Amino acid sequence: MSVIVRIPTPLRGHTGGQDEVTVDAGTLAEVLDALDGAHPGIKSKLVDEKGVRRFVNIFVGDEDIRFMDGLGTAVADGDEISIIPAIAGG
Amino acid sequence: MPPKSIALIGAGGIGSPAALALCEAGVRDLLVVDEDRVELSNLHRQLWFEQEDVGSHKTEAFARRLGDRYPGTRVVAVDDRALPHNVLGIMARASVVLDATDNYASRFLLADAAHLAAVPIVHAAAVRWQATVMATAARGKPCYRCLFEDLPAGPVVDCATAGVAPPVCGVAGAIAADRVLRILAGDLTAFAHIVTYDGIADRLRSVPVAPRKDCPLCGSKPKIGNISRSRYTGGVCGV
Repeated sequence: MSVIVRIPTPLRGHTGGQDEVTVDAGTLAEVLDALDGAHPGIKSKLVDEKGVRRFVNIFVGDEDIRFMDGLGTAVADGDEISIIPAIAGG
Repeated sequence: MPPKSIALIGAGGIGSPAALALCEAGVRDLLVVDEDRVELSNLHRQLWFEQEDVGSHKTEAFARRLGDRYPGTRVVAVDDRALPHNVLGIMARASVVLDATDNYASRFLLADAAHLAAVPIVHAAAVRWQATVMATAARGKPCYRCLFEDLPAGPVVDCATAGVAPPVCGVAGAIAADRVLRILAGDLTAFAHIVTYDGIADRLRSVPVAPRKDCPLCGSKPKIGNISRSRYTGGVCGV
């Protein structure tokens, strides 16, 4: 399945400035692995040993993966994955 | 206007355009809370300050300039930071809180205090080219902790080095003011979404947010029933 991952600006240092990355995966866990394979280090910003970091939110389309199957959430061809981290500046 | 003030917590890059939008819309009673002094590096995005204000208390300059532009406006300046010992007192004076702070500890503190005091709150944040805005009703759900749970642990990118683009602050302030006005108007559609703005991709999205059953603040068995200082240690500005 080819899915689009939208990269928030705080993480674009890992993607060479790209605001979206396309990866092939069947689950969200595979999405993050593929993302990290292409852009090493980015996965550790999003997950830790307990799962998705508590100040990061990941959405498949408009659905928060917390209310789906977490990292096991299945993704379909053409899905858009959004990453929304907590930010605190102003 | 409601009998209480709009409490603007943070008179910086987001608080400045938010105050402009609110006053242009007719708000004439603001409580402005900030402990900082104006710095030269603030001037490119904090539109109420001029070079002559550098070194002055932000709230003082903020109140003076708002009063000049909108005569008759009551601006109460609180030259202090919202902290565990005073935050509930601030809530008691507020009809709506606009969180325009620059650090996580303040954000979680304000979220908790607003919930405990049954005051609606709008959280607005910006860093680099990204902004987020989320509103929560009085005692409402989902709340800020439904989405972001708790202060980040471990290293985070510091806002001082990450920077923030002034136009992004303007967008965040404008959307936050819009949410405040919608809350005052009783518009329930202001809640249960987080708005994200990407200033590089020029993308504005509103993503639905669901309440979390095990949320420690608004969940079915809440664990946060008071303001405890130890809950707000750690976490600095950034992502």
